[in-house]
Amino acid sequence: MISLHQLTKRFGSQTAVDSLSFEIPGGQIVGFLGPNGAGKSTTLKMLTGMIEPSEGTATICGLDLRRDTLEVKRIIGFVPESGAVFESLTGLEYLEMVAALYAIPPESARERIRQFIAFFDLSFETLTDKLLGAYSKGMRRKVVITAALLHNPPVVFFDEPLDGLDANAAVGFKALIQTLAREGRTIVYSSHILDVVERVCDRVIIIDKGRLIVDGKPDELVASHNAGSLERLFTQLTGGAELERRAEDFAKTFRS
Amino acid sequence: MSAPSASPSPPPLPPRAPALSPEQTLRRLFLTLFLRGRGARGLKKEKAPKSVGSKLAWSLVLYALFGCMALVFVGQPLFALSTYLHAMTLMFVGMFVASSSGEVLFNKEEADILLHRPVTPRSLLWAKISVLVQVSLWLACAFNLAGLIAGIFARDGGWLFPVAHLFSTVLEALFCTSCVVLVYQLCLRWFGRERLDGLMTTAQVVMTIGVVLAGQVVPQVMTRMRGKMELSQDTWWVWLLPPAWFSGIDDAIAGGGSRIAWTLAGVGMLVTALVVWTAFGKLANDYGAGLQTLNETSGASRKRRAGRRWLDRLVQLPPLSWWLRDSVSRATFLLVAAYLVRDRDVKLRVYPGLAPMLVMPFIFLLQGRGGGNIFGVAFAGTYLGMVPLLGIEMLQYSQQWQAADIFRSAPLPGPAPLNRGLRRAVLVMLTLPVLILYGSVAWLFGGKISNMALLLPGLIAIPVYMIIPCLRGEAVPLWQPADEAKSAGRGVRMIGFLISSMALTGLTVWAWSTGWFHWLLLVEAVVVASLYSVLRSIAARAQWKPLD
Repeated sequence: MISLHQLTKRFGSQTAVDSLSFEIPGGQIVGFLGPNGAGKSTTLKMLTGMIEPSEGTATICGLDLRRDTLEVKRIIGFVPESGAVFESLTGLEYLEMVAALYAIPPESARERIRQFIAFFDLSFETLTDKLLGAYSKGMRRKVVITAALLHNPPVVFFDEPLDGLDANAAVGFKALIQTLAREGRTIVYSSHILDVVERVCDRVIIIDKGRLIVDGKPDELVASHNAGSLERLFTQLTGGAELERRAEDFAKTFRS
Repeated sequence: MSAPSASPSPPPLPPRAPALSPEQTLRRLFLTLFLRGRGARGLKKEKAPKSVGSKLAWSLVLYALFGCMALVFVGQPLFALSTYLHAMTLMFVGMFVASSSGEVLFNKEEADILLHRPVTPRSLLWAKISVLVQVSLWLACAFNLAGLIAGIFARDGGWLFPVAHLFSTVLEALFCTSCVVLVYQLCLRWFGRERLDGLMTTAQVVMTIGVVLAGQVVPQVMTRMRGKMELSQDTWWVWLLPPAWFSGIDDAIAGGGSRIAWTLAGVGMLVTALVVWTAFGKLANDYGAGLQTLNETSGASRKRRAGRRWLDRLVQLPPLSWWLRDSVSRATFLLVAAYLVRDRDVKLRVYPGLAPMLVMPFIFLLQGRGGGNIFGVAFAGTYLGMVPLLGIEMLQYSQQWQAADIFRSAPLPGPAPLNRGLRRAVLVMLTLPVLILYGSVAWLFGGKISNMALLLPGLIAIPVYMIIPCLRGEAVPLWQPADEAKSAGRGVRMIGFLISSMALTGLTVWAWSTGWFHWLLLVEAVVVASLYSVLRSIAARAQWKPLD
């Protein structure tokens, strides 16, 4: 489904993603992890055609990212970390705009929007009357997730999708992506909430400083590194082991 | 929340408009965003268009009224009327496109929403350009409404003129928009992606200031040159003026139809086609690259860090270190200074906004050059009071207005310390450079160094001008959405200040010529000091302005 070969991105002299290679088959939920600045969002932006790779290749469903960019964009869904929306549109206007960009027939688009309203417990009046600028963060996130799934894409990239969602919505969202994966869709899930990743994902890829560190099933990785939990494994691999000592040092600053 | 398949029957949605193609959808989207503004604070849909849409409607009415000046050309040669209409249209459309295009063409947030969708950079560019051309045409049509009638009754005009002029105006709007886009594309191609953001800002600020200045200066120049220069198709320099090319179209179709008119028309159409082809055809891929660049995140450049160090050092040196002892004022000063130097949105609002304020004093100075020019220097001085006032007004708006909530959550009793920092930043970063510029020009063209004293009444009044916006707790930096920057209320306030500065100019000239100038300074200083101390105590007690 997704295949990366030596994918690299440089910004001037700085290498954000360094020769990343892996493959993801269909129907898998892959946790894509890394500390801040590791290159996760840059990788996702390359895979969604938002920025051009400096080197390397990537294919999605057999389509070359560089050569068939537009075709790739038609078959992917993306929830960006920023959760950006056009704030001066209503939720309905925004979703209809997105549907039209994918050439979804209006009636089908309406039907799917109706289903998502019900799924996310969105208020009908809010969606039709309020501008997105007035939505809460969680509501806005629900609209962005809906916009990513509206065209029924076989591959979906989520960058911190739970940011702003309340507990019920988060539980529902996790059930949703598991359902989507069971139906054969590929899910790439980037998040810092590691216990969710551990529970939901079939496989975990951890990168740091743009390079791949580990790739495998969460329970196997945890066992092989004798870490106890994914969180512990993550801190071991990404230099976070000294965090407790650093926290103590930080607290000392306020004591003196 | 339930799974989609098991959902209860959701309510029916309102009837939908017929299906649109992706291209039509993008055009509709960008027009809606333009009319509503990008950051909507209004809660309800029906409130949103008030931001830009209603302002645009008022602008169209004003343009239509201003266009009535064309009626003085009734009975005059068609080419003169047409050149006037095209020159003014080019200026208005140029001002609009130069000030709007940066935000429309290169919006950072848009990348996360649209760049992963199946749309090409070319279709994005076309959709945006068509909106710019569409709104430009509304403005152009409003301004040319009276001109269309005047053309029918021009010396060699006729019923064909409205048709010909509408056609040439559409072409002119396309030419103007394409020129602006071409400048951006060439910046991208020649200077590279990495410097795009800074270049966009600089190019747009320079273009907007240039068009604003030209809009103020050209009518003055034309008035001064009246009778000295015959506007005719035989004049060689007419070939260098784009408005003359488009007037050639009018004259060729509806006027005399001379060979020169047809040639001018041909040049106009050829140049427009060339610019459109280069901007949208040849360089469209550069636009896609530019959008991607804005979406790429990279570390702060060395130059930026150096800029911050320069500001830090500035506030640590006397006299600023003495003046900014309070930490809140110092932090506010640094914040405002940083935005004035770096932020694209703030720079695009503040510097072009100040440009017209700078022009009038210079015109008065230049008009009276060589003869002591008392009025010009006095006017320049009183106009100075308007610069900080306008600066304070414009610095309240930002695209990052939500970040200003931090001021309210900080343990501050009210906005007074922030007001102080803002006032001081505006004095140092905007007023002082303008004062030096005015002083130099006044000295150069005023002739006498003793005349520089005429600047004093204006300078003495500055503290009062600056404290007035702080009285209601509004003078907090960057706390209002950028789309709310253009308000009719602000315009009325500015007219009030303008009238008061004119009155002060009159008083200054009278006192200077009657020998009462020293007394005027003394009385003004006492009045300003008393008024300032009263107003300052009121401003110190100002409460936070409630949020909508």
